[in-house]
This record gives sequence, structure tokens and C-alpha cells, in this order.
Amino acid sequence: MIQNLQILILGIALGGVYALMASGLTLVFGVMRIVNIAHASLMIAAAYITFWAFRLYGVDPILSIVITIPVMFLVGVGIYKLFFSRIAGTQRSGELTVLLTFALALVIEGVLGFFFSNVFRSTNPAYSTQAILFDPLYIPKGQFYATLLSLGLIGGLWTFLQFSRMGYAIRASMQNISAAQVVGVNVERISMISFGIGIALAGASGSVMSFLFSFFPGKHWEWIAILLALIVLGGMGSLIGALVGALLLAVASAFVSFHFGPTWSPITFFLALFLILLFRPQGLLGKKMEV
Amino acid sequence: MADKTVTSELESVAAETQSLKRPSLRIKNVFLGGLLLALLLFPALQFTSGRLNYWLHMAIYTFMYIAMASSWNIIGGYAGYTSLGHNVFFAVGAYIAGVLLVYFKISPFLTAPLGGLIAMAIGLLVGLISLRTRGPAFIISTIAMILVVKISFDNWDYIGGSNGLSLPAIKLPLAYTKMPFYYAMLLVAVGAIYLAYRIRHSKFGLGLRAISQDETKAEVAGIPTNLYKILAFSISGLLVGVAGGLWGYYLTYLKPSNFLSILVAAQMVLMAVLGGKGTVAGPVVGAVIFIAINEFFVANLGFTELNIVATGLLLLVVLLFFPEGIVGTLKEKGKLPQVLDWD
Repeated sequence: MIQNLQILILGIALGGVYALMASGLTLVFGVMRIVNIAHASLMIAAAYITFWAFRLYGVDPILSIVITIPVMFLVGVGIYKLFFSRIAGTQRSGELTVLLTFALALVIEGVLGFFFSNVFRSTNPAYSTQAILFDPLYIPKGQFYATLLSLGLIGGLWTFLQFSRMGYAIRASMQNISAAQVVGVNVERISMISFGIGIALAGASGSVMSFLFSFFPGKHWEWIAILLALIVLGGMGSLIGALVGALLLAVASAFVSFHFGPTWSPITFFLALFLILLFRPQGLLGKKMEV
Repeated sequence: MADKTVTSELESVAAETQSLKRPSLRIKNVFLGGLLLALLLFPALQFTSGRLNYWLHMAIYTFMYIAMASSWNIIGGYAGYTSLGHNVFFAVGAYIAGVLLVYFKISPFLTAPLGGLIAMAIGLLVGLISLRTRGPAFIISTIAMILVVKISFDNWDYIGGSNGLSLPAIKLPLAYTKMPFYYAMLLVAVGAIYLAYRIRHSKFGLGLRAISQDETKAEVAGIPTNLYKILAFSISGLLVGVAGGLWGYYLTYLKPSNFLSILVAAQMVLMAVLGGKGTVAGPVVGAVIFIAINEFFVANLGFTELNIVATGLLLLVVLLFFPEGIVGTLKEKGKLPQVLDWD
């Protein structure tokens, strides 16, 4: 019983982080119908920024989100300007964007590999090895902070989307992009900003990831597959769906990891993905997709 | 859009029957026949010079990717369902043939077709689930397919787990070890092109292309879209599996991280897109050009990382500026040489 409770706690703590990672992905999909395969490679890029900031200047990985968030926002805007502004909304753009972001992921992986080599890295601030005990249970300090930060950022994003004027415009674009345009939303600008925010969230995730998981340039394939499974489970383009999917799957994978060994835990995500495709292709909280 | 295609299809069929008498078609047949003959005779040079191993290796590699890109084209090009998980079929074929060799001493030249059939069966099963979705969700499910298989193979000790499985090498003098693979892979490549050609000129292929243009309309027009998609997905796995069986024996080493790397699938897609997806000649042209460029990069840059960058950049450029690929773009402009018009 205690043991199961412990696994549950660890699973939920992990779920918060997964939710942060998936939130940017689902936002970008929601507004632009772009499945950003490069999302996780940008996360890894941000993890490297965090790593070097920590290694060279001793910047705390959590604090380094003040670097990674704006930097990755600009990177996101740049990527959008370069690749997507011209093809958004054209016929078959959905499939094209998947291949484009796939190619982008390859480029980012290669560039990172060229500069940083394929050595496993992770930052090791003091809290990454400590734990908070409340007998008989415990939670690793790093995960605790990471989860708090993640939930804080997701909460911030939610508040922004819910109450700000631009948030209205973004949500309107998510619901129906042509109708949003008709009522005067500058869809081009909104798309660019949402893409920037999505990548900024990847940046924050990268900072968090740097002290929770070890990473190397090629690692992003495993991450993107997990994140995609999460957002398909939750319903693509639904922020709440991503949160629910992340928590559910993180807890499930924590149990699988405990009972069958950690090498099997990622399979939880993919089996869940196939099950959801089989029984509810639109995801738990998604609407039926028109493609 | 759909009915326009059907008319243009009818026109092209009519044009084809007429063109049988055209001399240019004879030129094409002579060219293709000559090319095939040259490829069949090429290894004979090994007897005289004995220094062809590099070229034989490149040829085997190219044939393999021609077979795989052409097969991928059936679902990815004709039907417009981009699969990023086709190397699962590759790995399944390799492991079936490899395990039968290691444990039962049956030559992969006999069992590779079996591997292909099993890959096809797996395609049928996965297709039943994955093809319930369209667009991005389908692509995601194919990526997930790779990872499910990779994790399972990594943890399956009977087939070597993540350490891999060593296969006994073929017992031939060193100068001739590549010969059987050369001919077998050539056969697979020609078979894949023929399969792609036959499908393109069948009612089935027409249905697939209708699906890629507008699936809902295709369904309304009475095309059994679900059946067609699933069939296309599984047929496209067949020769990828056979190629995998041969390639595994050729490498004498099976490892999940080699066969189930997403890069293998990426290259299949890239070759088909580069050459022109949906055309018969496209994947062939794409495979040859891509491998040539790749060899150039490897020879000059050496670094595998830069090689990944080059692959990605090439894909980006093609997608942004020539989404129809080389053959498709040339055809659109009416500048496609007759010898490359295989549709």
C-alpha cells in the first residue's frame, strides 16, 4: 500500500513535467495544425543551454528558464517565419509540416551532435540528489521543484489564454481559424506568437529536463514519441487533455516501470496510443478532427 | 478534383495505347532493357579485376533503398498516408530470416520471402488500428510502432536483446560473397518497381490516388477506402521485409538500434519525396541521387553528425521548393526525359 502510494507520488511528479513538455506541442498543433516533430529536439537544445550556463557560470538550472524561455521564443518565431508562414493553410499542409519539422529535427540533432558530441549530459545542482522525506514516503527534491515549476508555467499559460486579449485571439484561432480571421484576428501574427510560445515552453522543459534526465542529441526521438503519445491520448490541441494525458500516462508508466522493469516503461505510452486510436481516435478530450 | 483525375487517367490510358506505336517508347524499352542487362552483367567484371567490392556494396545498398522507397511509395505516395515507421517491416524481415538462420540453419535467401510475408501480416494488423486515423495522428502512430517494436526487441533475449544477434557469414570466397546478395537485391528492387507499376495501373491504384486527393469523396464514389488503405499499407511492407532479410544476412549482424533507427525510415521517405512521390520512377531516381549525395558527404565530411544535418537540410529544401520531387517537377514542366517516364 505504502509502496503503491509512493509510486503514485513519483508518477504524478513526473506527470507534471511531461505536461509542461507536451503543452507547447499541443498549443502549436491547436492553433496551426502543425505536428512539431522538432519540439523535443528544441527541448534538448535548451537543455544544452542550461547545461553550459550551469557548468560555465553556475546558473541554477531552474533559474535558467529566464534565459531559455526568451531565447527559445525567438528561435520559435524565427522557425515560423522561415518555414511555416508561407505554407500554413495550403492544401495538405498538415502532412507537409510533419515532414518539414521532421527534417528540422534531423538538422537540430546533427548540429547539436556536431558541437556537443554524443556524451550523456545532465546538470547536477544540489537539489538533484536530495529528497524531501515525510515518513514513510519521500519525493526527490529535484522532481518536486520541477513539478511545481511546470504546474506554475502551465497555470500561467492557462491564465494567459483564458483572460488576456491575445489569449482570446489564440483560443479563437484554435477553435476555428477562418472564423477567427473573419472577426478580425490577425491570424498570421497569432500563429507566429503561438509558435513562439510553444517553443518557449519547450525551452522551459529543456531546463527542467537537464537535471531530471540525462540527455544527448539523439535522445529527442524517444521524447517526441512519448510526447506525441501524450497529446494523442489527451486529444490533439487540447491543453487540459495534455495535462490529463500526461498525468495518467506518467502514473501508469511508473507502475509498469516498478513491476516490469524500467526498460519497459516507455512502452506504456505507445500501447496507450494504439488503444486510444482503436477506441477513441479523437483522444480523451479531443473533438473529432477534420483533416 | 476526383472526377478530373479520372478523366485525366482515361486520357493517359488512351494516350498510352497510342504511344505503343511511338518510337520514343521503343527507345525507352531499349534503354531500360540495356540498363537491366548491364546491371546483370556488371558483377562479371569482378572475375577480371576483382576489385569491385566497393561498387558491389554500393549497388546492393542502392537496390535495397530502391526497393524500400518504391514500396513506401505505395502507401505514402499513391495513398498519401505518410508512414514514418516503415523500418519496422525492415527489422521484422531481418529478424525472421536471422533467427531462422541462427537457430534452424535455413539460408535467408530462402526465408527472406517468409520474412516479407510476416512483415505484410504485421502491416495488416497495425494498419487495422493505425489507419483508423488520418493525417498527423496516423504519422504519429507509425512512429509509435517503431518504438513498440524497438523496446520489445531490446528486451527479447532469444533474439539477442539490445546487444544484437550475430549471424554466420555466407560461406563463399571473399571475392564472391557479395554476388548472391547483388542478384537477390536486384531482383527485389526490380520486383518492387514492377509491383509499384502494376498497382499504379490498376483499379486499386486509381482508388489509392483518389484517396490521396480527397478521401471523403473517394468513399462517396464507392471506393472501399478502408480496405484499400490497409491493403496498401501491408503490401508496402512485403518487399521492405524481404530486403530486410537479405540485408541482415549481408551485414551478419542484427541490432535493434541499427534496424529500428528512425533514420532508416526517414531515408525511405526522403528518397521517395526527393524523386517524386506518387510516381513510379520517383523513388528510384530519389534513391540513386540521395545515395550518391550521401556518399559524397561521407567521403568529404566524414562526420556522421554533419551527415544527419545534410540529410535534414536536403529534405527541407526539397519539401519547401520542390514538393513534387525531381520527377514530379520535371513532369509538370513537361521536361521529363522519356526514359524516366515510367508511369
